[in-house]
Amino acid sequence: MQGGSTGIGYGLKYQARCISDVKADTDHTSFLTGTLSLKEENEVHLLRLSDGGTELICEGLFSHPNEIWDLASCPFDQRIFSTVFCSGETYGAAVWQIPELYGQLSSPQLESIASLDGHTSKLRCVLWWPTGRHDKLVSIDEHNLFLWSLDTSKKTAQVQSQESAGMRHYLTGGAWDPHDFQMVSLTCDSSVQLWDLRTMKKTDSIDRAHVRNVDYDMKKRYMLVTAEDDSGIHIWDLRKLKSPVADLPGHSHWTWTVKCNPTYEDLILSAGTDSAVNLWLASPSIHDHSVQDSSLTSQNRTEPLLNSYNDYEDSVYGLAWSSREPWIFASLSYDGRVVVESIKHHLTR
Amino acid sequence: MELEGALPMDDKAKRMRDLLSSFYTPDQSIPGSPPHNAVSRFATLDTINTTSFDADQYMNLLVQKSSLEGLLQKHVEMSAEIKNLDTDLQMLVYENYNKFISATDTIKKMKNNIVGMETNMEQLLEKITSVQSRSDGVNTSLFEKREHIEKLHRTRNLLRKVQFIYDLPTRLQKCIKSEAYADAVKFYTGATPIFKAYGDSSFLDCKRASEEAVSVIIKNLQGLVFSDSESIQARAEAVMLLKKLDFPVENLKVKLFEKLKQFLVDLDLEYKELTNVPVNVDESINQNSASTTTHEASVHEFAEAIRAYKAIFLHSEPQLCNLGQDLVKKHFEAIHQQIMKHVRSADLLAMLRIIWTDVLLMDEVLPEASLPDFALQHARVAIKDYTCSTFSRLLMNISDTLKKYQFTVKEEMGVEYPLRAALEASKKSVIQGSMDALMDFRLLLDENPELLLKLRDLTIGWVHEGFQDFFRKLDGYFLLLSGKKNTAFQDVNLIEETQGEKISAGLVLVLAQLTLYIEQTAIPRIREELASLSAGGGVRGLATDPAEICRIFRSSGESFLHLYIKMRTQKISVLLKKRFAAPNWVKHKEPREVHMFVDLLRQELDEIRSEVKQILPEGLTHKHRRNNSNGSTTSSRSNPLRDDRLLTRSNTQKARSQLLESHLAKLFKQKMEIFTKVEHTQESVVTTIVKLSLKSFQEFVRLQTFNRSGFQQIQLDIHFLRTTLKDITEDEAAVDFLLDEVIVSSAERCLDANPLEPPVMDRLVQAKLAKTSEQGGDEKSK
Repeated sequence: MQGGSTGIGYGLKYQARCISDVKADTDHTSFLTGTLSLKEENEVHLLRLSDGGTELICEGLFSHPNEIWDLASCPFDQRIFSTVFCSGETYGAAVWQIPELYGQLSSPQLESIASLDGHTSKLRCVLWWPTGRHDKLVSIDEHNLFLWSLDTSKKTAQVQSQESAGMRHYLTGGAWDPHDFQMVSLTCDSSVQLWDLRTMKKTDSIDRAHVRNVDYDMKKRYMLVTAEDDSGIHIWDLRKLKSPVADLPGHSHWTWTVKCNPTYEDLILSAGTDSAVNLWLASPSIHDHSVQDSSLTSQNRTEPLLNSYNDYEDSVYGLAWSSREPWIFASLSYDGRVVVESIKHHLTR
Repeated sequence: MELEGALPMDDKAKRMRDLLSSFYTPDQSIPGSPPHNAVSRFATLDTINTTSFDADQYMNLLVQKSSLEGLLQKHVEMSAEIKNLDTDLQMLVYENYNKFISATDTIKKMKNNIVGMETNMEQLLEKITSVQSRSDGVNTSLFEKREHIEKLHRTRNLLRKVQFIYDLPTRLQKCIKSEAYADAVKFYTGATPIFKAYGDSSFLDCKRASEEAVSVIIKNLQGLVFSDSESIQARAEAVMLLKKLDFPVENLKVKLFEKLKQFLVDLDLEYKELTNVPVNVDESINQNSASTTTHEASVHEFAEAIRAYKAIFLHSEPQLCNLGQDLVKKHFEAIHQQIMKHVRSADLLAMLRIIWTDVLLMDEVLPEASLPDFALQHARVAIKDYTCSTFSRLLMNISDTLKKYQFTVKEEMGVEYPLRAALEASKKSVIQGSMDALMDFRLLLDENPELLLKLRDLTIGWVHEGFQDFFRKLDGYFLLLSGKKNTAFQDVNLIEETQGEKISAGLVLVLAQLTLYIEQTAIPRIREELASLSAGGGVRGLATDPAEICRIFRSSGESFLHLYIKMRTQKISVLLKKRFAAPNWVKHKEPREVHMFVDLLRQELDEIRSEVKQILPEGLTHKHRRNNSNGSTTSSRSNPLRDDRLLTRSNTQKARSQLLESHLAKLFKQKMEIFTKVEHTQESVVTTIVKLSLKSFQEFVRLQTFNRSGFQQIQLDIHFLRTTLKDITEDEAAVDFLLDEVIVSSAERCLDANPLEPPVMDRLVQAKLAKTSEQGGDEKSK
């Protein structure tokens, strides 16, 4: 099991950090990735898992003006996605549309739908309204939070509201609550902040340093998973923010990103800079801390780590579950290698 | 017609058969034979002798079942049998006839005998009547005289009684003088009915006088009962007499009992004094023995009192039992208090011994109370208490030691090797404390007063359990101390004390090494001691599971080590983060010197090294491993590759080829195992921290974009680090690899990767080294 050579590989030409599941594509399991190259022309790859699930096919290859630091696919239109790009001192975010009939064009160009201008510091990420056709977008830069209203047909995006998180806080990313569409959690230097989009105010925060990434449990309301540089993965109940309900050991080096499975409860995927992807089952027994002797019960507990995929050459930054086939995930290591794995045989347990 | 003819024939035959069978079978009581139908249905040849025999059927059956020859034979047989039966019948007739004749004879005789009876009976009646009339005559003639005599007799008795009553007071007085209370009481009780009847009229004076005398007697008797000097028998008798005099004895009993109780209270006071004394056994031995003897004497006295009481008042055992148990209870309460005050086992032993002698004394007097059993039960509780308190004290001691150093580590950095001192002290407190506890228990078991002898097995069990529990708790405490929250630790005191304080990384390291020490040294040693302890008694196997505890400690030792590494790398991470957050890397100025963050990094590493050096042992495989990695293909191949790469990069400047090349390089290199298992050695820990920090360095670099100068600055810093880290770390190849990775990463993230010339770098590094050594020299000279 170790090493997991079962995965299907695909190589990008350059280094890359981000990969996204194309949620709106209901006919195929497809992913979007974008490269990160300072000097070369960057590319966005649209990958599709072949019907047999044995091959990753490049469905489309589009050039992108700058190196891509964040990429998110639109949840209601498979041809629309957003990128956050940056090179040197320039930064920006945009919503793109893949041109129709792109297969027939020799060198298809992405159509820009909207450019999310107005940010005054380095952009971090763009979040789409979690499900369904909705015109809201959130973009996060180092200090500010922008709520956009996007019109895809008119190809315009307008700032609906914006708020500064304060100059002292360096925001690093965020996630949109799939259960309560008014709530967004943002990661910053010293805490995870919970924001209400109606009032554009911070409602609560988890004081925790070095949080890299945050994700909501799609199935369980109030469950939030955070990944931290050195102290692994923590699972929080949003109703009790004092201490986490469960800990997972994480990675040997930083835990870069965590993703909760969209269908199966408690199934968490994490990627780290130790060139590994770990699959966790945060079994409910861990949530129960009333047990007397922790050292004894840790034996009885089932090992939370289901599998560790460590056949990567470099740090893994990108991770995405397929929402169409939730037993499939795609991972992207820094050297530009996309690996799609199936966890089907872990599900039977 | 045939049928009709057959019927009388049948009747006749049947009567004959009945007769015959009545003759042959003694038991006639089975006439209730089954109905004919049933018989016919189940007929066999055997039915011939039964009452329900059916000749026709039998014939049919016979004809059906037998052969001709058989039939003939049967015929012969049967005719013979018939003949036999005929002669038998004749015999029968004769016998019956004889019986009949003898019966008629007997009847005739009886008739003759009865004739003379009646005359005789009449004569008898006549005689009896005459006897009766004579006796009546005698009776009437004597009646008068008898009555007179009876009267005289009554008068005499009455007179005697009156005389007795008039004499009673004087007689009682006499009795009092001669102390013959028993007689006095007898007289008085004899007279009481008369006093009751006529006391108010004729014998008023007499009654008064005798009552006075009796009250004197009662007083005397009471005195007798309470006087300890009198013999128990006399006292018992006195009580009996008092009872006869209708004196409320219960009061007496209660009073006496109160006295006993009071005695007990006094005794206990004495006992407390005794137990308070022997804090220092050596000095107070004389005192101790003196008080022991007085104590013994008083208990003896108490026992005698109880014996007397028991003899005096019958059926008072339950009360006395309670009293005896109270004594034991009080003893053990005192012991419990002492245990709370951390008594030593020798003292405990002394106390137990005193108790046991007391109990034996009491048991002699009062076997009903079964005090030894009772004491045993209490002793069990006491010893269990003792073991518990010993272990909790041990835990407290260790936590105190650690806590002391937790503060001193922060405050008094002036002490050379504070961490080593902490480690040594806590090691000592663990092993010494455990050994002391064991010694105590051993003493407890070896001295063996009888009381403990019975508890020996249990005690050993408790000691085992105690140790097990102790180590578990210790582990829990360590975890708590290190800030791992999810331990459900029971001891509220410890929690309160430790909360709110962040533990220093050094102490975590101490804990790591301490747990290792406990696992590898302390537990085996204690296990040995325990084994010898239980071997002495040769009883039941080890209840402890040392492997389990070792496992717990091993895992927490590892987690402490990881925690230490984590805390340290986190600190370095923050350092690096600041380093990368501050300048604008895209507009970086040309590097003039090695950046000063390197100094901070080195400072941090130096601190770690000093901590690690104090606590952890040097790795034995150090040299060996270095040689190994030098000789391996990885590093020998990686070095030229690195140089090549830098050269080609400066020539071509093509990012694509760079990437391809670095991929190629990785292909040729073995996959570098950066994150190896951490061992409890200086080198391993330092190397791990360095490796993790360098990896973080790389990750930070990857998040930035550099201009040429920025890249060169990183290159310079790394070059400097390469020289300094070489001395520190164990796994040179991996560190080299990571340093290269940092440079490669920064080159990748550089808009214009143009490396510094090696001579320039060397010069700058040399300048930096000179500067730092100068500073170091300054500091030393100061």
